[in-house]
Amino acid sequence: MTKTPDDRRLELLQGTLDMLILRTLQWGPRHGHGIGQAIRAQSDDLLKVETGSLYPALHRLVKRGWLKAEWGTSEANQRAKYYRLTPAGKAQLLRERDKWSQLVHAIGLIMNPAPKQE
Amino acid sequence: MKRPDVNDLDEEIRGHLALSIQERIERGEDPEAARKAAIKEFGNVLLTRESIQRVWRPGWFEAVEALVRDIRFAFRSLLRAKGLTFTVVLTLALGIGANAAIFSVVKSVLLRPLVNRDPDRLLYIRQTAFGIGTDNFLFSMPEIHDLESGAKTIREFGDFSTVELRFIGFGHEPRMVTAGVVNGSFFDVMGLRPALGRLLNNGDDGPNAPSVAVLTHQFWKTVLHGDSSVVGKSIRLGPGNATVVGVLEPSVPYPAETQVIANIVTSPHHLGAVMKTQRWHRMTELFGRLAPGATLEAARAELTAAHTAMLHANAADYSPRAHVGLQVTTLRDQLASPARPVLLLLLAAAAVVFIIACSNVANLILGRSVRREAELAVRAALGAGRGALRRTLLAESLVLCTAGAALGLLLAWPLASVAGHYAARFSVRALDARVDASVLWLGVGLAVVAAVLLAFVPRLPSSDRSGGPGLAVGSLRMTPATRRRLRIFATMQIACSFVLLAGAGMLLATLNALQTANTGYEMRQVLAIDVPPAAAAPDSTTLDFFREATRRVGQLPGVVAVASGIIVPWRDVNQGLKFQFGFEGYQPVAGEGDPTCRMRPVSTRFFDVLGIPIVAGRDFTDDETEPVAIVSQSVAQRYLPNGNAVNRHLTFFGSPRRIVGIVADVDDENVVQAPSPTIYLPVRQIGLATRLFVRAAGDPYTLVPSVTRTLRRLSADQAIERPTTLRDVRAQVLSPQRLNAFVFSAFGGIALLIAIVGVAGVLAFSVSARTREFGVRLAVGATPATIMTQVLKEGLGIVAIGITAGALFGYGFVRLASSYLGALRMPEALPALVAAAVLVTAALIASIVPAARASRVDVLQALRSE
Repeated sequence: MTKTPDDRRLELLQGTLDMLILRTLQWGPRHGHGIGQAIRAQSDDLLKVETGSLYPALHRLVKRGWLKAEWGTSEANQRAKYYRLTPAGKAQLLRERDKWSQLVHAIGLIMNPAPKQE
Repeated sequence: MKRPDVNDLDEEIRGHLALSIQERIERGEDPEAARKAAIKEFGNVLLTRESIQRVWRPGWFEAVEALVRDIRFAFRSLLRAKGLTFTVVLTLALGIGANAAIFSVVKSVLLRPLVNRDPDRLLYIRQTAFGIGTDNFLFSMPEIHDLESGAKTIREFGDFSTVELRFIGFGHEPRMVTAGVVNGSFFDVMGLRPALGRLLNNGDDGPNAPSVAVLTHQFWKTVLHGDSSVVGKSIRLGPGNATVVGVLEPSVPYPAETQVIANIVTSPHHLGAVMKTQRWHRMTELFGRLAPGATLEAARAELTAAHTAMLHANAADYSPRAHVGLQVTTLRDQLASPARPVLLLLLAAAAVVFIIACSNVANLILGRSVRREAELAVRAALGAGRGALRRTLLAESLVLCTAGAALGLLLAWPLASVAGHYAARFSVRALDARVDASVLWLGVGLAVVAAVLLAFVPRLPSSDRSGGPGLAVGSLRMTPATRRRLRIFATMQIACSFVLLAGAGMLLATLNALQTANTGYEMRQVLAIDVPPAAAAPDSTTLDFFREATRRVGQLPGVVAVASGIIVPWRDVNQGLKFQFGFEGYQPVAGEGDPTCRMRPVSTRFFDVLGIPIVAGRDFTDDETEPVAIVSQSVAQRYLPNGNAVNRHLTFFGSPRRIVGIVADVDDENVVQAPSPTIYLPVRQIGLATRLFVRAAGDPYTLVPSVTRTLRRLSADQAIERPTTLRDVRAQVLSPQRLNAFVFSAFGGIALLIAIVGVAGVLAFSVSARTREFGVRLAVGATPATIMTQVLKEGLGIVAIGITAGALFGYGFVRLASSYLGALRMPEALPALVAAAVLVTAALIASIVPAARASRVDVLQALRSE
């Protein structure tokens, strides 16, 4: 059993999970488990997505038309549902990324004010 | 996007777990440990599945789910307030039930189509003579002939006359049936179909056709038990034989309820000269079917013109005093029109009850929501939006109103049958009034309207209003706006109740006047018994039987006197015998013919037994040697004026009779008494007696067994039917009036009950909200009596305003209604005053409890309570 140090774990900001899922799928279709692992691995184990949030989010994105779900077989010969970005999903990812960078910028300005120029 | 089903979701979750386990095993974990860890990591499978499914549900699903939750909550909180729930549900049930019942009757009478083909083109033509007080003067054959000849707007005429015929057949006892005698085109004009066999057609018309008859559906079903082999059988009808050719489909029995409808040859009377040639011999009803392209107006114009021409051409036969006229309507309007005003009035009464019910329920709910303001404020502070709070209230009122509607519709079934019997007096169509789906929708509609109104009555707590109820308020406090609303609702209830009570009072006063009216008969002690003749034809054995029966029954202990006759007052008057009589020295007005009088065959001592005083002359004896008659006072005054009528002569069917006596007038036809000219003839000279009248010393009903035994000893299989005192006979006749008064009293009673609950509730609530005020006033020196008087005054104020508003509204309503419905009677002063007194008394009683509570407020407690 792997033990992730809980105090290192970060709470996911509300609304960002959708963006992370879209981003993870940018390089090709994955199944739900893979998406969870990818987010975890790419965040250096800082973000762990609970399945209870991941799957409703996946289905929500499918319902909105940003993802497409297909049954497939994993490399280990396990039947699994694969999620793939749709063109609308790609456009949405771009929008989200813009919004996110603006937000980060804005928060950054508040948290780390630039030294005043005398 | 297609919504995934449960199996799909399960498979996806299983796949996830499998991948997770695989990965852990690849990392070197023990398979069993890997499986456990994966499952632990996944968390609650069902919960996850549920939240995925929720993603796919439509948006409204959430709202419905929330409403269901609210409704469950409403159920729980209403169960805690059982008294309120009970009152509200019952009040609404009465309101909705009354409306649903009345609506079913209105629908079946006014809205349901007739079974007749093309009912819009089926006309009913009636001759009136308002000058002599009859709205149905009927037609004679020569008159029908005059109207028919040359009529272009009417394709065909159908005529119908009613006769009583003896009917023997199908192994049944001989019986008298009411038969319609019709011409050949009658059924085609009416547009009716046979249920079995065929109906009558033009081939059955005329004096040379074979005798044929059609049975009505009702008679065939009830008496012949729907036996389909009756068609083609021969029966004895009247003096001859007739063949049953068919059974009529179920249809409205108009103009008369009959068992058999036959062609003209079955009735010798219809073939006789009097029927064919005498213009005054009126006994026929007339129907017509519009010609293609003709309208009702055109037909009315043409027939009225023909009728006027006929009156001119035969001026000698029509007295100008009679004002003979012609009415042409569709049969449908003719059937519905007498019932329309009554039904619309009932509908108005039901609507008023519904308004009262709703305003009372609104008051109760308003009171409840004021009590709940603290709770609502807490919920609002915890983040519940206005929508959520409204939904809570809506759920509660929906539960209440649905329960009310369900109970109301259950009540509607029996109420509809009562109302149907009630309205049947005005229209035969009311009898088969049924509560059906449309009424169900009406009930649901009313409930939803009530629920939505009720949910919007209470005020919601809001943050931006400084005067609004706040969290800080621990005890009950009422804003002036709420108080005003409560009072308006209570006043409205009083006003509506007053209108209903005054109306009911008027009807009760009328009923009372009728019941206490002097009828001229001895009512309590006289037992009337039907003793129908056993043999097919009456003969001397019948009279001998009656003479012997009278003698033997007269000897029974407890019997004062016995007489016989043919007509039981009130009960038998519909088969009333009315004939034209000539009077010695009386010259009839030109065009009117000899005067028509009621004829009653009676035996010796009849007047004695029934308590009719003999004013002059003598009673009949058992052995009259010449044709004799006794006349009533009004006959003597009208037709035999100069001096004593006794020993003068009258003519009956051409033969003279000596008048031997004069008796007081009695009226057993009309509920409202009027002098009715009557001529009595001895049963022995008429040759028939069918009724026995027994005057008892004690309770007349105790004589029934001994009288029956005596009669059976005389003739073993003698039928002895319906022994009833005259008082009870009349009570049955008055039952429509009683029903009238009962129905409106019931409405008035319901309204009164609801209004009292309303006034008491408003005052009780107002008192409990002002506990602190009363405490302060008591503390600064007010006496309990002052406080009590003030609360009572408040209650009486509501009632006074309500009654005034009700009187004004009622006056306006009657004025308005009379312009649409014809003359309506305004309640007299007395019933209105009584209604007002009842309301004031009731309100006083309802105010006493809260007033007493107000005066007993504990000063310290009241001041400490905040």
